[in-house]
Amino acid sequence: MSLALSTLLYEWRRYFAAVIALAVAGLLVLAMTGMFMGMAKSFTATVDKSPAHLLVLPPQAEGIFGDSGQPRRMIPMVYQHPEVIEVQPMQINWAMWSNFPKDGQPPKGDGVRVVVVDPIKGAVTLPSDFSDQIIEALQEPYAVVVDRSSLGKLGVQVGDKAKMNGRTVTVAGVVDGYPNMFNTQVFSSFQTAKLLYVADDGPRVGPLLVKLRDPSRAKEVAAELDAIGAGQFRAWTRDELSKSSQTGIMKEGGIAIMVGFMALVGVFIGIVITWQTLQGAIMANIKEFASLRALGVSMGSLRLIIMELSFWVGVAGLMLTVVLVAGVAFLAKWGGVPMDFPLFIDIPVAIMLMVIAILSGMFSLGVLKKSQPADLLR
Amino acid sequence: MSGKLALDAKGLSKSYKIGKLKQSVLKSVDFNAFHGQVTMVMGPSGSGKSTLIAALSGLMKPDEGEVMALGENLWKKNRGKVDKFRLDHCGFIFQGFNLFPALNATEQVEQVLKYCKVPKAEAQRRAKAVLESVGLGHRLKQYPSELSGGEKQRVAIARALSKQPQLLFADEPTSALDSVSGQVCIKLLHQAAKERGAAVIVVTHDPRLEAYADRVIHMEDGKILSDTMVAEPPYLA
Repeated sequence: MSLALSTLLYEWRRYFAAVIALAVAGLLVLAMTGMFMGMAKSFTATVDKSPAHLLVLPPQAEGIFGDSGQPRRMIPMVYQHPEVIEVQPMQINWAMWSNFPKDGQPPKGDGVRVVVVDPIKGAVTLPSDFSDQIIEALQEPYAVVVDRSSLGKLGVQVGDKAKMNGRTVTVAGVVDGYPNMFNTQVFSSFQTAKLLYVADDGPRVGPLLVKLRDPSRAKEVAAELDAIGAGQFRAWTRDELSKSSQTGIMKEGGIAIMVGFMALVGVFIGIVITWQTLQGAIMANIKEFASLRALGVSMGSLRLIIMELSFWVGVAGLMLTVVLVAGVAFLAKWGGVPMDFPLFIDIPVAIMLMVIAILSGMFSLGVLKKSQPADLLR
Repeated sequence: MSGKLALDAKGLSKSYKIGKLKQSVLKSVDFNAFHGQVTMVMGPSGSGKSTLIAALSGLMKPDEGEVMALGENLWKKNRGKVDKFRLDHCGFIFQGFNLFPALNATEQVEQVLKYCKVPKAEAQRRAKAVLESVGLGHRLKQYPSELSGGEKQRVAIARALSKQPQLLFADEPTSALDSVSGQVCIKLLHQAAKERGAAVIVVTHDPRLEAYADRVIHMEDGKILSDTMVAEPPYLA
């Protein structure tokens, strides 16, 4: 084991502040982005869990958000492809929700996002993880299904009645994995949606969900569909759209600025604390370094030791970040807050932490000037 | 090796500025040391003895004068070459033992050998051998915090000896040690001179060490007051 690594392990208390600073900087950025990504993911959950192999969106749309809809006549155009077996528009509408407060229960009222599905096994609008029981429940008129994490927010239990757009509905069941921090999602059948005046038969439709005969040919069919559409729409594979939607949300001005600011604060705090800690720790061993100098070890070699040390501090910081983020993710899951940590965020954050550690090491090199071996002779 | 001139310094001067005052700590000192001899530099504190060995060993450049070390003009070299010279030829023992707390006795020695480009297996073998030679064969895996002061100093000596230096400098090597450990320590330095032919220069004001010196030099106020051969000068023997 190298001198740097053994020193870090042996005197870990001395370096702990630096490791913590790095981990907190990492956590700060990851928790922040994790929340936004989680939000994004909760919006794309309906895409991710859709049995659709392709999704058709207006040509300029970069994701599921900000989709301004497209003309209904796109549906027959998509059907022109011989491998397409089902096309249905994704229907998401808004409704007013209120509960019937029981004794001592506060009244709750909120706008909810109604996701309209076909309660038939294998239907392209039906999320693939809905159980038979839930599908059956949804077939009843005025039955709705909500995510488990939003029961509290909506002020209901399974079996309770509630009001949507002035009509009484029954909470027929709960599903997991569709948490949404801002907009509570309520699933209903097409028939129920009609009864609640949220079904949309207008000339414009949302994203089209497309089922294919051979799912393994999704990429090719998407390209062929684009050719058929000739620029009037764009076909996406599910993964493509999900990723693009997630990155899309990060490009939103406000979020990017917030995350950027957090990253900046994290980097600043990380560098200052890591640098000062490293410097202090090196100073504590300065006589040992000076004795190496006396024995003829060059300044360059000592610098290398410091740089290696800062590298290992970075690695330790990364490991602690993983632990902290795992803890936060666990808490979030437990509290029903959607969070997501995709690799395209994790890797830059990991690089950022290593850069902080290495920069701090470089800043600390100055202390080595104090390792004058002649000072050991008094 | 024994009897050959190892160090020959002429006209060494060094002064420090303290505020506006310029204080001369070395005043044109001539000094030499031989292979196979323990040369002891004694004197009260502030007499310039530490500055002298700093100048002799390539740790601090004197204002004037030259040092011929192993036939090379030390201060004509650039800094990198001086470092290299120290790496190749010099061993140091300080009053504080200056051992890395995170390394065990063997690793302390190996660490230095690594910079001397000694292959790992060879370094391990040499570290073990040299630690055994200073009587620490049973403490190879101990960390500094588990070693007594005397043992730490012996690790420091082993670290210095492992490079097989021809010049061995010791600055108050025994002043932090009890008398028994001090004896062990000076005996090891003496042995290094006799068995390895190193020129050993010891700065001390511990009069008990004189018994192990071949030559005793007294300094005061930056000058050499006396230079006594205790043993037969090797070049006459």
